[in-house]
Amino acid sequence: MSLLELKNVSKIYGELKALDNVSLHVDQGEWVAIMGPSGSGKSTMMNIIGCMDKPTKGEVLLDGVDISRESSKRLTDIRRDKIGLIFQQFHMVNYLTAVENVMVSQYYHSMPDEKEALEALGRVGLRERARHLPSQLSGGEQQRVCVARALINHPELILADEPTGNLDEANENIVLDLFAQLHKEGTTLIVVTHDPEVAEAAQRTIVLEHGKVAREVINENFGK
Amino acid sequence: MTKRRMFLRMITASLLRRRSRMLIALLSIGIGATILAGLVTIYVDVPRQMGAQFRSYGANMLLLPKDGETLNSESLADALQAIPEDELVGAAPYRYVRLDMTTRQQSFTAAGTDFEQITKTSPYFSVEGAYPVKTREILVGKEIAEVIGVKAGSSMELTWQPTSSSSDKTPEESRVPGASLSGQAEGFGGGIVYVTAALDDQAHIASLSVDSSTQTPEYGGRIPEDEAFLNQFIGKSLPLALGDSVDALTGATVTSSAVVEALNKATETAVSARPRTLNFQVTGILTTGGEEEGYVFMSLEDLKTMTGSEQVDIAELSVSANAEQLETYVNAITENSGSVRARLVKRVARSEASVLEKLTALVFLVTLVVLLLTMICVSTTMMAVVSERRREIGLRKALGASDSSIRAEFLGEGLFLGLLGGVMGAVLGFAFAQVVSVHVFGSSITFQPLLLPAAIIVSMAIAAASCLLPIKRAVAIDPALVLKGE
Ligand SMILES: Nc1ncnc2c1ncn2[C@@H]1O[C@H](COP(=O)(O)OP(=O)(O)OP(=O)(O)O)[C@@H](O)[C@H]1O
Ligand SMILES: [Mg+2]
Repeated sequence: MSLLELKNVSKIYGELKALDNVSLHVDQGEWVAIMGPSGSGKSTMMNIIGCMDKPTKGEVLLDGVDISRESSKRLTDIRRDKIGLIFQQFHMVNYLTAVENVMVSQYYHSMPDEKEALEALGRVGLRERARHLPSQLSGGEQQRVCVARALINHPELILADEPTGNLDEANENIVLDLFAQLHKEGTTLIVVTHDPEVAEAAQRTIVLEHGKVAREVINENFGK
Repeated sequence: MTKRRMFLRMITASLLRRRSRMLIALLSIGIGATILAGLVTIYVDVPRQMGAQFRSYGANMLLLPKDGETLNSESLADALQAIPEDELVGAAPYRYVRLDMTTRQQSFTAAGTDFEQITKTSPYFSVEGAYPVKTREILVGKEIAEVIGVKAGSSMELTWQPTSSSSDKTPEESRVPGASLSGQAEGFGGGIVYVTAALDDQAHIASLSVDSSTQTPEYGGRIPEDEAFLNQFIGKSLPLALGDSVDALTGATVTSSAVVEALNKATETAVSARPRTLNFQVTGILTTGGEEEGYVFMSLEDLKTMTGSEQVDIAELSVSANAEQLETYVNAITENSGSVRARLVKRVARSEASVLEKLTALVFLVTLVVLLLTMICVSTTMMAVVSERRREIGLRKALGASDSSIRAEFLGEGLFLGLLGGVMGAVLGFAFAQVVSVHVFGSSITFQPLLLPAAIIVSMAIAAASCLLPIKRAVAIDPALVLKGE
């Protein structure tokens, strides 16, 4: 069953086509990696899928809704309800503790629930660091908090833009294990990465070049 | 945890964990609120303070006799009924009389008054020494003190010289206590009989002497030596009637009648009181910077002892009321009283109102400017806060914050700052007003309980208003741009 469908999507900045007539199909529960050189339009695509930006041309169907036509208020609602975001720069609210950062996501989604937030932190192995401020956490720990924050509202789709770009081997593995767990639970994952190892963890890799889909690779070793 | 608790937790965390920036915003609100609260306190207090200040430059109402009338303590007390007790600061009666200091061949204007009232109507009087508290004590104006060289503790003798009385006085009025009389009437055979008499304090005859040398020696001529005849006049009041209040001397009915007639006529035509000299103790030297320095001040009672009259020339009133009310009091007194008319001391009453108006306008203006400055300052700080927190705002939006929740969060922070700043402002502002009041007006002010909620509400309103523009900025932030990761 299709969760996401891009039909001839273009994003044009003046002369520059950041995305050039991209079509893409992602099924419910799929784990997709997106690769490509710098400036190939990966982040641009993620922003459009993540309802933070609109394409210049084309249609983006998320759960059957064309999000390229929605108002920004509606987009905010859709993003809040369906999408969990993980960024390369593990963005956190720097004056809130780890657990409070997770609760911020609950707060905008529905109800803050400290117990649930602590459980989510436990899942990423940070139950003991829940009361620490971001400045007291390592980069890997911060990214794990961001993963906990992304999954706290049980989104249908998790978008991760270079989630392991700034992580060491050990933390990268922790994050990938978490993704594998989420995949097992049925969450759809789209992960932008430069790292072939991270891409290999996914079922399918899409390679962008100059705003176009250059090729698609199915990972035959998936799940082994 | 409810949404509201999370909201408060986020706001307080933002303020408490980002201290330095928030401290600036808090300071600007707090200082603004302090100045505002201080100004408002002074603003409320200024009319009272200024009123007191102006009254200290003199009375603002005068009570005078109506034409052909005289004033006395009773008619004044009656007239004062028209003014509510709590608005009447003081009422000082004055009576002006020329007195001689024969030892120095000087004469001064003496003012009889009530010293207790003077301290209220003329608080600017500065006395070196003390105000008189009992009779036979006087206050001497500085000018006089310099001329005759007296100081507190000196004594001085003052004499009242009666002026020759006018002839249009009725006998009734002529019976001045202490007066001495002289008169004449035609006796037996056309000879003139002369009498001189002195009246006591109750205007009764105290002494009497008769010159009847023109009368028959063995009859009328005997009168000056006849004590029994003369004594029957003592203690009587004028006019007299022969055969009724006094009996004629046997064999000298005509001369006796001439004596009575001369006495009765003397009261009509030749009243003159005798000079009285009293010895006074100087209790203080008065400095006013005005003409009062050329007067001596004594109690009305002493002046009455000297002159025999308890008349009052004028009363100065200090009334704590606005120009309009003063006007109604003036009209009420003038209409209701038979002998008293009231008049405003226009210059002082008017300038009090106009200076007050100007001052009020000035405080209002300064308040407005401070308000504006505070808003600019808070607004600028909040603007800096917003740009400092662009990423955080973008993140919140990416996590699903709607525009209204971003607004609510920043407004919440602003209102919280306003609350803290308001409390700070009320407390410090009162202290500030207190210091100003003590230094400028020389009096302290009482804390208005309303100041606290007022300061809090105003500073919260200012904080909220200052946040409007920064909030607009915050709402306009595009999460996609911010999160792209520069
Ligand atoms: N707001 C913008 N205005 C103009 N050009 C933009 C804008 N955003 C992105 N671009 C351009 O679009 C192209 C695609 O950018 P994008 O951020 O999607 O690249 P990317 O694949 O994510 O690269 P990287 O791997 O370095 O993150 C780039 O050439 C970039 O300069
Ligand atoms: Mg990118």
